Amino acid sequence: MKSFVTIGCLLMVVAWMGVRKPTPMKLPVPAGWPAPQYDFKKNPLTKEGFLLGRKLFYETALSKDSTISCASCHQQFGAFATYEHPLSHGIDNTLTTRNAPALQNLAWQKEFMWDGGINHLDLQPLAPLTAVNEMGETIAEVLHRLQRDTAYVRMFREAFGDTAINTQRMGRALSQFLVMLVSADSKYDRVMQGKDSFLLPERLGYGIFQQKCSSCHRAPLFTDLSYRNTGIPPDNTLNDYGRMRITGDRRDSLKFRVPSLRNVAITHPYGHDGRFFSLLNVFEHYRKNMIVTPLTDSILQHRLPLSNFEIGQLTAFLNTLTDTTFLKNPLFAPPGYVITPVFIHRH
Amino acid sequence: MMSPFRCILYFSGLVLVLGLRPVVHHPLMIRFQNCAGNRPLQLSGELYSNSFGEIFSVQQFKYYVSAIRVSGEHEEEVLLKEAHLVDEGDSSSLVLHLSTDLADIRTISFVVGVDSLANTGGVQGGDLDPMLGMFWTWNTGYVYARLEGESDSAHSPAHRFTWDIGGYKDPSNALRTVTLDVGGRSGLTGGGVRITADILKWFDGKSPVHLASSPVCHEPGALAMRIADNYSTMFSVAP
Ligand code: HEC
Ligand code: HEC
Repeated sequence: MKSFVTIGCLLMVVAWMGVRKPTPMKLPVPAGWPAPQYDFKKNPLTKEGFLLGRKLFYETALSKDSTISCASCHQQFGAFATYEHPLSHGIDNTLTTRNAPALQNLAWQKEFMWDGGINHLDLQPLAPLTAVNEMGETIAEVLHRLQRDTAYVRMFREAFGDTAINTQRMGRALSQFLVMLVSADSKYDRVMQGKDSFLLPERLGYGIFQQKCSSCHRAPLFTDLSYRNTGIPPDNTLNDYGRMRITGDRRDSLKFRVPSLRNVAITHPYGHDGRFFSLLNVFEHYRKNMIVTPLTDSILQHRLPLSNFEIGQLTAFLNTLTDTTFLKNPLFAPPGYVITPVFIHRH
Repeated sequence: MMSPFRCILYFSGLVLVLGLRPVVHHPLMIRFQNCAGNRPLQLSGELYSNSFGEIFSVQQFKYYVSAIRVSGEHEEEVLLKEAHLVDEGDSSSLVLHLSTDLADIRTISFVVGVDSLANTGGVQGGDLDPMLGMFWTWNTGYVYARLEGESDSAHSPAHRFTWDIGGYKDPSNALRTVTLDVGGRSGLTGGGVRITADILKWFDGKSPVHLASSPVCHEPGALAMRIADNYSTMFSVAP
């Protein structure tokens, strides 16, 4: 009899442990930044949700032939862009049609992709998962695979309270990882906080930047998240007209989202189709090669004159936007790389 | 002055009378019957012809209905807010078991499609799970209705025509509200309404859309708007 009671108690403890509430976690919001756009009410950040999202992000079983994970195209040492690739590789020797952007400060974004076609971060993974030139799998098959994996069953329960694995939870878990990718600890940030100072070329470059670039690449995100036509003629094999495909409005022809310039020194190649191999190519575009049409952004109707001297200073400034803490943060590395996440905020 | 005791007595009497007033839930079964003109729709290669003489077969026919409401002489009641996917390929999806407080129903109305909150609120579950494929991943939004098949008139690869209709943003908002008269119909006497949906209306319900010229519709826009206008006329209450 006594042993029954003991076993009963043990079972209750186990059951209680099983439904233990996940540990809340907080998004680090850098001082002076606007409020994040992501709706945390529907998807509260937790340590368990984040760890599940991270595992999913590095999971090759999400692709049809188990060769490609999100991280194949979004590499941490490249600020989660595809390092040194104009376009990224999908399954079966396919190529994406656009340059993989850096993944950073996504909690402040309301729309995703170069053309803003995706309106919620939770939905973003469904595009690469199902695209034949990316991971080429069906959502149903991916969920099925996760449901058969006991590690995932346990982690979904820890994150969401029960073992159901569905599209919504997969999206929410990935979002919990993605929103934590905050980059705000570059030299530029430290200078702004008075903890460091610019070298002369960096300071001059900052001045030029504020004058010529910051109306579009606006701090602190270094993008105003608008869509603009910068006079990049369409590649005749890709025929990508950008935002127009989403809005159906001819005036949006060749508009692409202003990319953030945080970590720009390491996210080459540049441009929506990766056609610019170096910063110098981008500057040459702005000052010489732009094809100006009536639909080109009003700020750029006379191109963007830049002297060689200015280009040198601007480059020095742009290099201060590299955030090595972010690029090396073990929290964002593949699971197993670090055993105890060191600076998860617990509240 | 009323004594407190009496006061309580009256009050409880009132509660009793109100509480006991019978609210009867009438079961209401809604059955969707998909057809092509006067023939039942089949997904097994059966050939149909639209009013322009274009011959076609159908492989998929699905649509979302949401915000189902009924109205009597004076009252109105929302029976189902959430979206329900009617899929000709899944017979259990063709029947909805609902219940209404109204004794006498004059009209039934519903929206064909999915409201904008679900289009902008992240990943949804149930019938709205993007896993079901009625969803555009690259340009967020639900496919409200799909008609897919083959026709020699369609000059697209493998003569396949695919009409995926959706769009929640103006000016391409393809949501359509349908209101049907059921008052006095014998259809309701058995506790149910039979709603027929005639696919032939997709081609000419309001304006002509030919398979020859428009075999593919895969995004919100002008063509989707015209086809949505057309199919908004496809429903009727079967006698
Ligand atoms: C085959 C390469 C590839 C894979 C695999 C891939 N992505 Fe991407 N990702 C891209 C490209 C290319 C873009 C830009 C697409 C566009 O704008 O049209 C992108 C865009 C994004 C964006 C939008 C960023 C922004 O600023 O708008 C997010 C978020 C993202 N990917 C997350 C993921 C996640 C999560 C996964 C795994 C489920 C994943 N990606 C898998 C290549 C890939
Ligand atoms: C009118 C708005 C606007 C102005 C002004 C502007 N940019 Fe841009 N910038 C954009 C847009 C939009 C893109 C993306 C273009 C594309 O790929 O289609 C871009 C792309 C870039 C890129 C490539 C980044 C990447 O990750 O692909 C760099 C680098 C860049 N801009 C630097 C600058 C600098 C430096 C200045 C000032 C000298 C500047 N921009 C001025 C709008 C602007």
